[in-house]
Order: sequence, then C-alpha cells, then structure tokens
Amino acid sequence: MVFRRIIGCLGMVGGFLMGAEGYWAFAPVQNPDLPAVQNTGWAREELDRFILAGIAKKDSLPTKSAGKRTLVRRAYLDLHGLPPSTEQITAFLQDKRHDAWERLIEELLESPRYGERWGRHWLDVARYADTNGMDEDIAHPSAWRYRDYVIASFNQDKPFDQFIIEQLAGDLLPAKDLAEKRAQIVGLGFLSVGPKMLACDDPDKMRRDIVDEQMDTMGRAFMGMTIGCARCHDHKIDPITIEDYYGLAGIFMSTKTLTKYSVVAEFHEHNLTEESDEKRWQEVKRLEDVHKKKETPEEEKERLGKEIAALKKDLPAQFKVMGVTEDPTQNVKVHLRGDYLTLGAEVARGVPSAWTHGKKIAMPEKQSGRLELARWITSTENPLTSRVIVNRLWRWHFGRGIVPTPDNFGGLGEPPTHPELLDHLARKFVESGWSVKAMHRLMMNSATYRQSAQADLALLEYDPENKLFARWQRRRVEAEVIRDSILLKSKRLDATMGGSMLVVQPSKYVDRGRLQSHSLVPRRTVYLPVYRSSGYDGQKAFDTADPAVSDGNRRSSTVAGQALYLMNSELMHESSRALAEVVISTLGSESARDRTAWLIEHLLGREATEKEVLQGEKFVSDYGDPKDAWAAFARVLFSSNEFLYVE
Amino acid sequence: MLQRSGTGFGALALQAMLAREAAGQTKAPPLPGKAKRVIFLFMHGGPSTVDLFDPKPLLTRDTGKPFPLEVPRITSSKSKNLLLKSPWSCQQHGQSGAQVCDLLPNIAAIADDLCFVKSMHCSNSRHGGALLELHTGSDTFTRPAMGSWINYGLGSENENLPGFITINPSGSHGGAGAWSSAFLPAKYSGTRIGGNSGEMKVPFIDNPLHDRAKQRKELDLLASFNQEHLVQRGANSELESRIASYELAFKMQMEVPGVQDISKEPAHVKKLYGADVDPTKSFGEQCLMARRFSEAGVRFVQVTHRYWDSHGNLKKEHEKLSAEMDKPVAGLISDLKQRGLLDETLVLWGGEFGRTPTAQGNDGRDHNPHGFTMFMAGGGIKPGTVYGSTDDYGYYAKDKPVHFHDLHATILHLMGIDHEEFTYRYAGRDFRLTDVEGKVVNGVIA
Repeated sequence: MVFRRIIGCLGMVGGFLMGAEGYWAFAPVQNPDLPAVQNTGWAREELDRFILAGIAKKDSLPTKSAGKRTLVRRAYLDLHGLPPSTEQITAFLQDKRHDAWERLIEELLESPRYGERWGRHWLDVARYADTNGMDEDIAHPSAWRYRDYVIASFNQDKPFDQFIIEQLAGDLLPAKDLAEKRAQIVGLGFLSVGPKMLACDDPDKMRRDIVDEQMDTMGRAFMGMTIGCARCHDHKIDPITIEDYYGLAGIFMSTKTLTKYSVVAEFHEHNLTEESDEKRWQEVKRLEDVHKKKETPEEEKERLGKEIAALKKDLPAQFKVMGVTEDPTQNVKVHLRGDYLTLGAEVARGVPSAWTHGKKIAMPEKQSGRLELARWITSTENPLTSRVIVNRLWRWHFGRGIVPTPDNFGGLGEPPTHPELLDHLARKFVESGWSVKAMHRLMMNSATYRQSAQADLALLEYDPENKLFARWQRRRVEAEVIRDSILLKSKRLDATMGGSMLVVQPSKYVDRGRLQSHSLVPRRTVYLPVYRSSGYDGQKAFDTADPAVSDGNRRSSTVAGQALYLMNSELMHESSRALAEVVISTLGSESARDRTAWLIEHLLGREATEKEVLQGEKFVSDYGDPKDAWAAFARVLFSSNEFLYVE
Repeated sequence: MLQRSGTGFGALALQAMLAREAAGQTKAPPLPGKAKRVIFLFMHGGPSTVDLFDPKPLLTRDTGKPFPLEVPRITSSKSKNLLLKSPWSCQQHGQSGAQVCDLLPNIAAIADDLCFVKSMHCSNSRHGGALLELHTGSDTFTRPAMGSWINYGLGSENENLPGFITINPSGSHGGAGAWSSAFLPAKYSGTRIGGNSGEMKVPFIDNPLHDRAKQRKELDLLASFNQEHLVQRGANSELESRIASYELAFKMQMEVPGVQDISKEPAHVKKLYGADVDPTKSFGEQCLMARRFSEAGVRFVQVTHRYWDSHGNLKKEHEKLSAEMDKPVAGLISDLKQRGLLDETLVLWGGEFGRTPTAQGNDGRDHNPHGFTMFMAGGGIKPGTVYGSTDDYGYYAKDKPVHFHDLHATILHLMGIDHEEFTYRYAGRDFRLTDVEGKVVNGVIA
C-alpha cells in the first residue's frame, strides 16, 4: 500500500531523490553579471541583455518593436484587462515625448482598473471562491473582503512580503488601531477560502484535510513547492520529509479555520466592528430575541420594534470577515502512510529543515508559529519566494514563465529557460522593497516586452513555444477580459468597485438559481460571485481557473463552446443591441459609411480599411432593420480574432 | 492541442484537425473494448438497496433488535442501531434468480439482462463525499469526472456533439465537481443539460434571433474579416482554429437540438420509457433523451434521478421514487437491446451509497457506504449475474467486495482502457481515475 502510493505520487518519473543542496531552486539568489552582448543598442533595460544573450546564442535576432498603436492596446489589456478608447489611443499616438511609453505605464498603474486586473491573477493562485463547493456548497459571505483586499493591495503596491505575511498571519501582527487591524486580518481569507469537505462525519479527518489543503496551497502559491506528497511518505522528488510535513502541520493544527469540525461545519469569522457599534449590535440582537418570543405581548413588541429601528438607525454594518485564528498550540505525530489512526513519533512544530538548510526556526510556545513561518517565507534566506513571485509576474505579462511551470519549482516542474535572468529579477524585486509595480515598470519598459508578434518565419518555426522570448506571443485574452471588454465597448460597464452581490447568511447554502442573474449585472467580472459548485458557463468555456485549485498558469484553449457563447449569449446580444443604440442615436447624422468606420475603429482600435468599410456598409444595408443590422455588425467585430487577441 | 504553433497547413487538413480536436479526437482503445459508450443512471441520495435488491431473512426475523455486529466507527447520524425489516418483499426473477423488490416489476422482468453487484462499498458516509468519490474517484480533492477521463481517453464519436453530457444533475453535493474535467483540458468537461434553474438545453445552443440565414450572414462576414486578419499575419494555427470553431459551433447548433428532441419518437417508444404519462414522464423523457444522445455518439451520458435520501418516510418516498424510476430504466435497457446497441453501451445504475438495515426513527434508514447494490447492463458485462454479497443483515459488503475504485477500473477495462496505464500528468504527478487503487472485477465481465 505504501509502496503503491509512492509510485502513484512519483508517476513515471525515475526515482531520483532530490536533496536541497545543489538544486537550483534552493540555491541562494545570485547576482549575475550582465551578459556581454553585441547589439547593445537594442536593450532598454538590463533584463533585455539576458534575453538577447539567449537569442544570440541561437544565432537569432529579436523581433522589431511593435508599432505605437499595437503597444498602447497591449498595455491597456495587460494592465487593466480592458481595451483603450479611441481617445486614449490618439492621446498616446500624439504624445511625442521621449518617455511617452513610461508615462503611459505610470498612468495605467495609477488607475484602480489595474488592481482589478492583477488582483484577479492573484485570486487564481489563491483559489478564491465565494462558496465552498465540494460536498456542501455553503456561502463564504465575507470572502469578498479578501477579494477587495487583494485588489486594493495591488492598487496600493503593498510590498509583496507584507502581502504574504498578512495572508498567513495577519491576525498576529501588531496594529496601531482598528483600521490597521482590519487591513491586516482580511488577508487571512487566503487560508480560509479553500475547498473543504464540510460534511465529513469524522471531525479529525476533516481538520487534517483542511490543514493539508492549506499547506499545499501555501507551498505552491509562495514557493512553488508541492507539499502534499509528504503527508504519506518522504517526498521522493522534492526535499520534504514526512517529519517536515508534520512539523509544518503542527503550525496549522494550532490554527483554527472552522468554529466546529462537525457536520455541517462553520467558518470562523473575525468580528472587527467598532466597539461602540458592536455594543449597539449586541443590544439589537438582545431586543430582537425578545421581540421574537411568542410570550412577548403585542404592544411590547411594537415598542421593541421602534426601539430596534432607532438603535439600527445610522448603525454601520458589523465588520466580519472569514479568516483563521489561533487555537491552543499542539505538536502533531507523524501519520504513518498518511493515516491518523496509526501514529508515529511526535514532531515539533517548525519550518522544514531542508528548506532552511538545517537551521531551526524558533517556534513560540503560546502561538501557532504562523507568523514565524510567514517571516521565514519572506526572508532573504529563502531564495524561493522572490523567484516564484517574479516568475509569476513574468508569466502574466509574457504568457510564459521563465520557469514554465510557475506553480511548481520542484523536481517535477520544468527548469528555468533563463536562470540568470530569474535571479536578476528576484534581486531587483527584493531591492525595490518587494514592489510589484516596480517589476511592471521594468518588464514593460523592456525591449523584450515591446517586440512585435510579427516575427520572422524562421524564428516561428524554430521556436514555436517562444522559449527565447524573441517576439511577442500573440494570445487570446482571458475570459474576464472578453466579458469586460464587450461591456465597456457597448458602454454598459458599471465601474463600481468592491462589495458583494451575494445575498446569503453565514454558513448557509447559496442559491444557485441566482447565478444567471449575477452574470447579467454589468460589473467587472472579478466582482461576480464565484460559486465553486457551478461556474458561469460562458466564463468556463474560456478557461477560467478552477477555483478549487491554486493555478497561476491558466491554459488557453480553442473550442466550439466559445464560439457558441459569442454567437448566442445574452451578454453578446444585449451588448450588441446597446452598441447599435449608440451608433444610431449618437451618430444619427453621420452617413452609413462614417458609422461603419466609427464602429470598426471603436472596437478594433485602428482605422478601418476601405475594403472593410465597403463590406460593412453592404452588410448593414442588406441585413434589414437598421438597429438589428448595427447590432449584427457589432457582434461580428466583437467575435473577430482581432478583438479577441492581444498583439 | 490547438496551441500548436507553426506555419500553417491546408484549409482542408485544418478543418479535419479542428473537427477532431475540438471535440476530442477519436482514439482507438489500446485494449479490445466491448463498450463504446456509457449511460449512467445515477440515483442521487442513496436508494435503499437492502430493500430493493438485497433481502435478508435475518433482518426480517430480528427486526427491532440491536444490530448484532459491530457498527462502523463513523456514521452519519446517531442511532440506536435497531434493525428494521423491509416494508416490502423481494422475489427471485429470471434464470439468474436475482432478487428484485416488488416495487420494481419492470426491472424484475429484465433481470436476465442485468448484472447485480451486491457487494459495493465506498469510503464516505456523506452525500457530497460519496457522490464525488463515485464520480471522480476522490472524496478529498478536486479530480476529473469519470466521463471526462473516458472522453480524454477515447475522444468523441461525433464531432458535432459534446462527448460528455449530464442531464438534470444535482447542483448540491459536489455540483459541477461531478462533471468537471478538473485538470484535464476543459473540452473534456461535462455539458450540463437542465438541473437546478438551468433550461434543458446545451448552454448557448439557441440563437436568440432564431434566424439562421441572418446568422449565416454574420458568420460569413466574420470569416471574411478573420481571413483578412490572418493573411496580414501569416499562417497561424491558433487563429485558423478559431476561425474554424465558428463553423463547428454552427453545425452543433443545428445538430444538437435535433438529437435532443424526443417529440418525434414514435408513441410506442415513449410508452416503453413511460415518457407518455406520470409518474414516469419526466424521468422517462430524460432516459429517452439519453438514448438519443448515446446513439448519436456521445461517449458518456448521465441521467440523475432524485432524491432517495429517506432518513424518514422511507415507505412512502421509496414507493414514489421506485414508481418514477422503474419503467424508464427498464425501458431504456430494453430499447437499447432492441436496437442492437446494448452490446456496445454500458448502462450503470446506482446511488452514491445504500442505506442501513438499521432504523432511523421507525420508518427511515441512514446512509450506508459499507455495503450496497449497483447493477449494470450491456457493454461487455455478463448478463444474468449476481456478484458478491453482504453480511446476513445487509450492512457490510462481505463476499467479493467491490469499491468505487474497482468499479472505475472495470468500466475503463470494458472500454478498452487499462486503468493503471491511463494517466495524465498534472502538477508534477501522473494522475489516474483510480489513484493508486482499483482492481478490475473479472467476475462481472462476459
């Protein structure tokens, strides 16, 4: 049995045992010299020299820079997940200053649209959802605070080390006031929003499964390490032993995620309501209880009703947020073959020694040790975290990681194509104070980023996966970008930020019947509640990440279901009609020819060609009713490859 | 995969590739398989198979007495563990002498087409866990559904239809987890038809304008714009695939509603399924729809019938549910047989678990994952078989136990797939439907 499970984890890979020493991911971050390159004029940033050296080694050349029109659309889609307006494009084209590009990046980074886009990337990694999914799909009514926290953290450019610490141990940080306390604690949603089997009849198993999921997600998200294998046996590929696993598990077993681990379980929430407000809420609750009682006389009920209403007047809502909390500390015994009914020796809580090169990280007696773990994860002694994070950012900008498996830096992941570049960036990242925006500036200002997708045929054949980064990889925009872009361009997008559309009570089931109505709300997709048990059909067709697993490397498929969504969905038809209305009412006096040209430029971000205008004009006049015709023409443009791909 | 980059190839070759790849290429099974398709009749909630197929004289004799064997360490509810005899009786049927409850006369009549596995067991005593384990092999993690695995392994038989359809599924107790492709590519995900608030339709299959000629015009203009865009960029397989995907979608849009439409089925066929009158009408229609999808080449079709969770009111509820389910199930199997499709179609019937021989209240039974019955028909199984048994009270699988992992291994085997060789690399590991478990149950194979 043990043997079989080990084989299962190993898969078909040969059984080489990986020590931490000598394995690239565990080696200290180097400070590599900038490679000497011939074509020194090409580089705009230091990072370009690493890319150029790789290209030169293959006797190849980088691709020429994309035009300004392409670049401005690329930047908007990349940083905001929304295409630019014709005015925004024109403004950039007319900006002849030498640093127009840098200014554009700066402007885009200042906009709150940026956090909505890049926060969503992180939410994939955090396997964020507004419901539990799994066996009991109960709601996470306050999880949206974590989602908003992620968006705000990106917008504020919160130092990423702090961001990590808050997500693992925000409750254990000192706070000068309630506002700071709230800001730190909300991050704990990271540990709490995972999928759980909540109706497990065995509370011990439930708790251990939750801990296992938290550890595995943490390992992948911050360090690209898979930890789960070591639950049953020493990891055969990555340096983590079964003792390491249960040492780490002790930290999480000294942490409480649920208020009860019996069927059906309930999530722990922190109540961070202002003290005076909380007193009033308690009083409201007390009066409501009396009000509810059968034996309370009618006139008393009436009086109470008024009193409650008066108390509630101007009373701010309670500030509750799901998140883990401390539990009495405990060490865990090794579970032989992963089975908690057959226990081995007790292991002291701690950080796996292979990760720390044998150094013991002291654990507090009266605290779980999450804070110490978080501090170690973000310390300069740990080479993994900064590499993993910069690689994630690179992946989201370029469509492919320097380490092509961003969630797995272990022996079964793929090694970096540009190890020196990875270290160069990791070092810059730490030097910048873990500033994500600083990394955006570096990466986007590079010549590498600005290359055209129109590459040399020989290069395309030689390097179809773009391992050299010698061109821009043309790619389809993500599910959220498609929906948001269609809403924006049809002038339907409601830019309201934050909050929740869920109407549920804590620990109650969600009403899946509402999914359809959620999807019709024209807000940015990041704000639609994520139901693990049933996603939005249209979004899923376009490869949204499965919210049950941490995923920093979404795939991008091409299937007929996507075409059906674009051809037939309510989103498409409502939006195309709305846009037809705009064409007819605001451009009423223009000729059909001008309106055709306007619509093409509005949606594709470039001037229409003569041929397109003629085709469009004919299509519209042949189609029938003008409003239907303009809607149909808008659908054609919304569905076009030019609209759906970023170049 | 469609991400294959390169420098283009002929439009015809491309069409063919897209058609195959978009729906999942048909792959020859590595082993000679009998079954080409699966129809899974899922009884959500856990039918009381101790009443329906597994009568026990000692249970009748000792009713009201404490269950004399050890009760499981983990149970779903607190119980006094007093035995409760069946409110109905079973008779032996057919050559095999299989026991079938009087509530199921139509299933009883085809007993010799069926293979009863009376020693099923699984690992989880809760609906969600057991349901996910039955559908995906795991009650702990998010894993691909068996329908997704089978489509990944064998591909589609009809490029204009989804390869995995689930009719009227439950949104609770796992929800989409029961038809999700998880880490397998999204194209292997189940397509939901109905269930919860959804319409009984493939998502987005209807054009809101209901004007095919106009839609054709739109697609023609779109193709022209896309072609121009492509010419400027040079051959690119991904862009070309997307161009072709609209044509495939257009074909699906034409074909799917026709396949799904049971209205043109002759009256005698509808009658066979009970799709003409209540109480069998709803489930009968769904079973008939399942046959039509399966016949058209959908690899894995699931129909869900609910809700068998009779903690109380067992007598009334199970009588109602049996009356709804019996005729459609027997009708489906008979219909497949008449059409010569049963040999290559594996029909599977069962819930996520059975129910305890002990009582909850005086008219209810608790979840029992430790021993229950499922049955199969067609697709290379041995008809007229009774395999395995439970203890004298029907609580635990005793003789030749069959776990869900074994069931999965057997289904794959019947489809020509070796479950130990059939893997998918994800997050640095090779995953299997059967994880590290599963033994093919040779005793049920013809």
